[in-house]
Amino acid sequence: MNRLLLLGAVLLAAGCGMKPVGAEASRDPAYVFPHRPHLDGEVPCLKCHVGIDKGTKLDISARHVALPKNPSKNADCNGCHSDDPKITVPTRTVPFRFTFDHSKHLPLVKNDCQACHKKLVDKNDAQAPVPPMAACTACHKHQADYAEARCTPCHRDLKGYKPETNYAHGGDWLRLHGQFAKPTAESCAQCHDQTYCAPCHSAQTAAARPSVIFPEEVQRSFIHRGDYVSRHVIEAQSSPASCTRCHGSPFCDSCHIQNGVSASLGASARNPHPSSFFQTHGQAARRDISSCAGCHDQGAKSLCVTCHATAIPGTAAGSPNGPHPASFISAHKGEDKTKNKMCLACHTS
Amino acid sequence: MRQTPLLAAALLVAGAVARADTVEVTSTTMVNAEQQTRGGAAGQKLDTVTVVPAYEIVTITARDVKSSFADDLRLVVSGWGSWDLTSDHRWDNGTSQAGTGDLGTAYVQGQVFARHLQLRLGREAVMTGVGRMLQIDGGEAIAYLGAGLKVSGYAGAPVSQRFQSRGTEVSWNPTGGDLAYGGRVGWSFVLPGFPGRGFDLGVSANMVQNGTKDPVRQEAGADARILLLENLTLSGFGAYSIYDQRISEGTVAATWAALRKLRLTADFRFVEPGLLLARNSILSVFSASTRKEVGGGVEYEFSRGLTGGADYHMIVEPGAVYGKSFYYGGDGAARLIWTKATTQAGAELDVVEAYDNGYFGGRLFGKRTFGKFFAAADVLTHFYREKVNGQTYDLTGTLTAGYDLARGFAAVISGGAGVTPYFEQTFSIMAKLVYNQTYSTKEVR
Repeated sequence: MNRLLLLGAVLLAAGCGMKPVGAEASRDPAYVFPHRPHLDGEVPCLKCHVGIDKGTKLDISARHVALPKNPSKNADCNGCHSDDPKITVPTRTVPFRFTFDHSKHLPLVKNDCQACHKKLVDKNDAQAPVPPMAACTACHKHQADYAEARCTPCHRDLKGYKPETNYAHGGDWLRLHGQFAKPTAESCAQCHDQTYCAPCHSAQTAAARPSVIFPEEVQRSFIHRGDYVSRHVIEAQSSPASCTRCHGSPFCDSCHIQNGVSASLGASARNPHPSSFFQTHGQAARRDISSCAGCHDQGAKSLCVTCHATAIPGTAAGSPNGPHPASFISAHKGEDKTKNKMCLACHTS
Repeated sequence: MRQTPLLAAALLVAGAVARADTVEVTSTTMVNAEQQTRGGAAGQKLDTVTVVPAYEIVTITARDVKSSFADDLRLVVSGWGSWDLTSDHRWDNGTSQAGTGDLGTAYVQGQVFARHLQLRLGREAVMTGVGRMLQIDGGEAIAYLGAGLKVSGYAGAPVSQRFQSRGTEVSWNPTGGDLAYGGRVGWSFVLPGFPGRGFDLGVSANMVQNGTKDPVRQEAGADARILLLENLTLSGFGAYSIYDQRISEGTVAATWAALRKLRLTADFRFVEPGLLLARNSILSVFSASTRKEVGGGVEYEFSRGLTGGADYHMIVEPGAVYGKSFYYGGDGAARLIWTKATTQAGAELDVVEAYDNGYFGGRLFGKRTFGKFFAAADVLTHFYREKVNGQTYDLTGTLTAGYDLARGFAAVISGGAGVTPYFEQTFSIMAKLVYNQTYSTKEVR
């Protein structure tokens, strides 16, 4: 075990060279070099981009730019430059979002950079135009990778890219996104780690509602915004089972107990149902059993068992199916009830 | 002695993070004060208490961890701890203690065999097929077999909040089981010459059982995504409850980007909600009702920065007499979003019509950034068809201000007030310090 501790400590120490590229990194200075006149002058790219033909990886610390120091005295430059423009190439901090090996690709295009860089960055541009993906797919047959959303290793991740055709997130996206995720969840994972989904989908392990943690994110479609306590009954009825998809029954009960409306409090509970509910509760249960489960799902101690397990006419023995709907009977008729703990709650023998 | 493996694991995680190419770290230190109701026996008036939980929420994502055995190795961890500062704990604390916490996500993911096999191990969600975003402590493997064929499988224990009991009858775990397993077989076909076009078809299964091996969930499903035309996507999903021998859910949807500025959607959903209850719930033996939802939506970009949209779904649900009548409810929303430079503003309307009650609501929100300072406002109101706790409406509002401090830190403070069916007046205040930073290995060549 001590070896594990040592290994962990060594690995930790090995990573001390990491640099933050946070908020400052998203604001790189504008580009300073005018590419257009140099292209028109047919200056070979490698004259200035020295060493790019040996670059195996995109790296902001290795820009592969070395402008001639005195263009007016350089035979390749002084045809146009009579003086020496002062250009300081700014340091870049925004990391590249994809991997690319120039040393392998340049020989294939015979050092013609414009084979991929269709549009070049120019002076005062905030961002360099990235070669279109068609430049890649012209040679690399990536359709299967595209379909299977295997974007790595070329793309490190797709965060920040907004899909415009496939998977465009507009309109009724909140309702439909699950539908798209079911066949191709790996596509979602290209942009979103599971931590992005967890605040809504792993509600049981979340710290608090997203709208409480992120009140400044007013543009996002958070569920349960505002006074959700007052609305939750209505929304539960409108979309039954949506609550129990994320919350176990004790989650509901923990609030209901503290507010005196839990069935588990017995006779001391405040009854939220109308006085005539006992007569009509069967219809309500048939209509929306999931809402009943929000309060009454206490296993064998559930309130339902109290009556339905006994021979009250019309509940257990008084009807051929007891309280079960015909659809339940058709699937479970003749089943050995002694093998299922739930069945034994009512069918005691 | 017990702490040694934990310490070793923590150091190994720290070591893995240190060997990553990119590490994203988010830390939120937050205090939230709000009012909640408490009430006792029948006839008693609800009391008001103030709860003040303090939170620490940490998320770490390490990408491209250098290793000799896997590609694209990444480590994702997100967890939190909290402490209720007052004697009244917030109702969703989940324990009887002032201090609590949980792990939302914690997995290691990598690709082996020349990226033909992706492995994920830890606390994760299963998203594909009929998995229904099942959160498990376990593992998932996805094998890319070539020719578009993909096979995935998973197994694990469904997660229960605050590490409490999983598979008991009264479980914090919404799935209600101890063991979950399943998988999906999928096939992707791509139209030659048209990147992105083609279809994905799949069949999947999901099984969950509890400690006594009683079935909790037994579902099989089929799903499809079809994109034959560039701007038209068709999708479908069907699920069948093997245990109950009935169709539990079916959906079909179409999204069409008719114009660059115009997007249309239409969908139909059939669901039997009771079949989505855990099968070991005593209430599952009463389930019978079905619901159908049909509707669509539209979104249009009126001008640069101004987008509007609306959607509505009619819901056909059982009426007053089960099996003999229907209730036609609905669920709709409309929105208008305006964005210009550092300003964003929006308005929303929504309506819900269910059998027992419904509401009509509206929301106004806005956010503006002034250099390193930002401010946001959010106001919501709802008018109920039937009274809730004797009241007909709620109105709540929140004002938020923040400042981007140096080195990835930001401070945010937020105050809320409102009138709700349970509070004649209610107030809340939240303050947080956020650290959000991405670290990258600096290589010198």
